[in-house]
Amino acid sequence: MTFIGLLALVLLLLALRQSLLVVLGCAAAYAYLIWGGGNLQYIIFDGWDALNREVLLSIPLFLLAGNIMAGGAIAQRLVRLMRAITGPIPGGLAIATVLSCGLFSAIVGSSIVTLLAVGSIMYPALQQAGYSRSFSLGIICAGGTLGIIIPPSIPLILYGVMTSTSIADLFIAGIGPALLLIGLFAGYSIAMNWQRRLPSWDWSELSAALRAGAWSLMLPVIILGGIYTGYFTATESAAVALAYAVFVEMAIHRELDWRGLFRITGDTTRLLGSLFPVLMMALSLNVFLAYQQVPTQIVESLSDWFEGPASFLIVTNILLLVIGMLMDIGSAILILAPILQPVAEALGIDPVHFGIMMTVNLEIGYLTPPMGLNLIVAMVTFKVDFKTVVRAVLPFIALMFVALVVVAAVPQLSLFLLN
Amino acid sequence: MPPALVIHSLQILRRIELGVTFTAFAVLAAVIFFDVVLREISGTGLVWAREIGVYANIVVTLVGIGLASDAGAHLRPRFADRWLPARWDPLLSRLGEILTAVFCLGFAFIAFEVVLETRNLDERSVVLRAAIWPIQSVLPIAFFLCALRHAAYARWPALAPVPNNETPT
Repeated sequence: MTFIGLLALVLLLLALRQSLLVVLGCAAAYAYLIWGGGNLQYIIFDGWDALNREVLLSIPLFLLAGNIMAGGAIAQRLVRLMRAITGPIPGGLAIATVLSCGLFSAIVGSSIVTLLAVGSIMYPALQQAGYSRSFSLGIICAGGTLGIIIPPSIPLILYGVMTSTSIADLFIAGIGPALLLIGLFAGYSIAMNWQRRLPSWDWSELSAALRAGAWSLMLPVIILGGIYTGYFTATESAAVALAYAVFVEMAIHRELDWRGLFRITGDTTRLLGSLFPVLMMALSLNVFLAYQQVPTQIVESLSDWFEGPASFLIVTNILLLVIGMLMDIGSAILILAPILQPVAEALGIDPVHFGIMMTVNLEIGYLTPPMGLNLIVAMVTFKVDFKTVVRAVLPFIALMFVALVVVAAVPQLSLFLLN
Repeated sequence: MPPALVIHSLQILRRIELGVTFTAFAVLAAVIFFDVVLREISGTGLVWAREIGVYANIVVTLVGIGLASDAGAHLRPRFADRWLPARWDPLLSRLGEILTAVFCLGFAFIAFEVVLETRNLDERSVVLRAAIWPIQSVLPIAFFLCALRHAAYARWPALAPVPNNETPT
């Protein structure tokens, strides 16, 4: 009965369009009042402990570094370089779009910013080159999702924080699935545009584009290289990435001044002000659940349901696909990761592999109606109706689904660099 | 129309919050970066860097709650938006703001009690051995200012920002 009360409270707050912070805060308050002895101060104590963690420091630093780099003309530079590289390949412009999205998102770490920045350049270019509207929309929307799995990915950091999994390991494990997705998108682009007439290599343009884009290209190298070699922790690489981004945009490209830096810091703070308080409430609720031994009970009861990891992975993936249609990836990870990961671990699934699979699964939610964020952004940005965008992304959803099956079935795809 | 004084006060509050978070962000980035640089140069980093960085991040985060409210950027699941009739939208928006204001006020009060307790217990940080309650005071202040903001949005809906939320990825 009391659990039905909690469910009713959450549904009522959602119907009244309350933010996740209020929903989780009220849920935590309800839980403490009904089952926890009624001392609400524990929510604040646990919330304070949640924020008082060094592991969180990488998130603001990566976000600010990405926003600074995105503020300049980095998208144009990357697109120019990728076009120069892929020009003579069938479907080269489409492959350039995918690679630009992948590289850009590795630098800025945001799906929507990637879609807007690369899409606003590549959508007209693809149309002009004779690619169909549907294919152009699809490749840009799908390419925009790559930022979720390519380090420095904020959802991976959130998963690491919520499940006490190494963020550096998650970053490294994300490389294999990211390359698989890029390969699938690029392969589909080649297959769909095999007959297209091709220009020859322009070595002078390639050299000029490489010179123009070299500084920007170094950022993912610093982040991943530093972490992979064990030279930096995730937090340290974020601080170095931020210093590098400020240096490149202020001193080299000269596309950022102090006023711009102040504005970008404000924008980043707004993102953090929406994300971290939710994280604070989610971790506080998590501490309460752990104290009440709820995860242990869930593990015990669910372990009986599932005969092995395969059936658990199938059910979890179906659940996550549905959740991804209704909820944004950050919220889904904050709520579900601490519940699902202990069950996965009890069934012998590596926590890093499970985190990568969960992220790849929820990445599909960016392309699925009714709440797919990339669909909505593409609809507004490229002035097309919702149905057109949904049709355009269908083949790419199928490709991502194939990638999800491979990621779930082959743990080594994620773990080979760690081993 | 909302009174000019309210509009002006909210603008000043926004500027103060932006100034505070910019400073805290600068401190956070500087201490972590110089910790890495010093470690490379001298072999020893700044032992207090992480603690200062964590506190600076807490200031950014908590003051950021108000800035997120100011921009309508709080994360909100939208799948339930059509459960109630569309003609109720203005009423629901107002009710939503009142609920948020009450929530923030409640948490401001609880956080205030927590700060008092921390002060009475004389809790200190691990490395610097500094009193925690001054930095913890940001909690009730942030929630209280957020409550004031949402109360203003409830009283004068024209002040409320257009929702604009994206989970950073």
